[in-house]
Amino acid sequence: MALMVSQALALIAEITHRCPLHCVYCSNPLELAAVESELSTSEWTDVFQQAGKLGMLHAHFTGGEPLARADLTELISAARSAGLYTNLITSGIGLNEGRLQGLVNAGLDHIQISFQDSREGPANWIAGAKAHAHKIELSREIRKHKIAFTVNLVVHRQNLDHLEEMIAFIEQLNPERVEIAHTQYYGWALANRAALMPTREQLNRAVTIIADAEKRLAGRMRIDSVVPDYYAKYPKACMGGWGRRLILINPSGKVLPCHAAEVLPGLTFENVREKSLVWIWQESSSFQRFRGEAWMPEPCRSCERRTEDFGGCRCQAFLLAGDSKATDPACSLAPAHSVVESAVRKANSGAAISEPASSTSFVQLQKLTGDLWNYRTNPQ
Amino acid sequence: MAPPSETSQPRLAAGCRWGGTDQDRMILFPEGAIKLQGTGRQVLERCDGTRTFSEIITELQKEFGTTDPEKIRSDIGVFLEQLQRKRIVDY
Repeated sequence: MALMVSQALALIAEITHRCPLHCVYCSNPLELAAVESELSTSEWTDVFQQAGKLGMLHAHFTGGEPLARADLTELISAARSAGLYTNLITSGIGLNEGRLQGLVNAGLDHIQISFQDSREGPANWIAGAKAHAHKIELSREIRKHKIAFTVNLVVHRQNLDHLEEMIAFIEQLNPERVEIAHTQYYGWALANRAALMPTREQLNRAVTIIADAEKRLAGRMRIDSVVPDYYAKYPKACMGGWGRRLILINPSGKVLPCHAAEVLPGLTFENVREKSLVWIWQESSSFQRFRGEAWMPEPCRSCERRTEDFGGCRCQAFLLAGDSKATDPACSLAPAHSVVESAVRKANSGAAISEPASSTSFVQLQKLTGDLWNYRTNPQ
Repeated sequence: MAPPSETSQPRLAAGCRWGGTDQDRMILFPEGAIKLQGTGRQVLERCDGTRTFSEIITELQKEFGTTDPEKIRSDIGVFLEQLQRKRIVDY
């Protein structure tokens, strides 16, 4: 066992795949975990204890929609008792004044609410649900509490044209942090990529708008944003590297290095119901698979950037180039880079921005938008 | 934003708190953590929301017993300003 295993820092607790929204950019896998397979309260409590003993620092509660779990308050409390900083990543649907107070009392440190747009019609069109007004109300409620508040604004071709307006809208909600999250292409977002990829012009404008906003808001609001990797010269250091910083546990207890890894062939992922977290992190073949450099092909193996970006994302390499070992095609030096170039070309060849559709039922909305994208469905 | 004023009372921002072990003290904040050693740790341990910036500086100038007290003031001011921009500290 010669490979040096680094300290695991963040646990992504994907506690359910149930969700009241149907966002077209969702990064959940296309195959969602069945409700009956979900880990119980006591199983999650044990996981947090193990994570704390492993020296982990953060728990990120996500899903689906974590609020869909009736025991969320207990889970937050359990994570906190295990010594973890608690982040709740949520749409806010299912949260009211009383429940929020309960979460705060249980030790919630940080809440991140997603927003799909500044305008109600488009926001509800992207999410496939009438969620926007509630999120605004909830943001006001959150400000009454002493927890950290982040707004996550998901941006893509359909809304980037009014980025300034969306930033101004978010300012009014008064979070400490804003994440301007360019869609990444996994799960449902990959299936809907053609409708979501921004044009180069949109991206260049966005970079300027965000830089200006950062200056203007310095000291009041912190803005975090990264250029989407399809448009970057080098790939992202996905998850901080395979099995370096992060553990994701899916609703049925499967332990993954990231949210997309189940698509990779030839890997057996372990389950917390069967093995200990420390063993899985330090010794399981799945977590060892892409640690170190021995697995790297050229050009990664002799590239001076290999300790910075680790050759990019394994899942993206598989999804776009059919080979999980390959250099991430987002890298300009990747043999399969033409796959990304082709997607970028397509996005820049007059692909239109669509008119937001609305309807009284989700089923009808799906029919109206069938040519544009597929809404995320719910697990059985 | 500017460095703290003399009478400001620096403190950890909402949702930011201490964690880690006694040896490896850290400040935990949304989706991140910073390990604090030496001077940084001594500064932040005094940012309790009651001590003023002026008091913190005076304490540390005594603690470090240096020949350049003004450098301590400006270094710590810059340090806190950086953390304020990251929304980890308020003053």
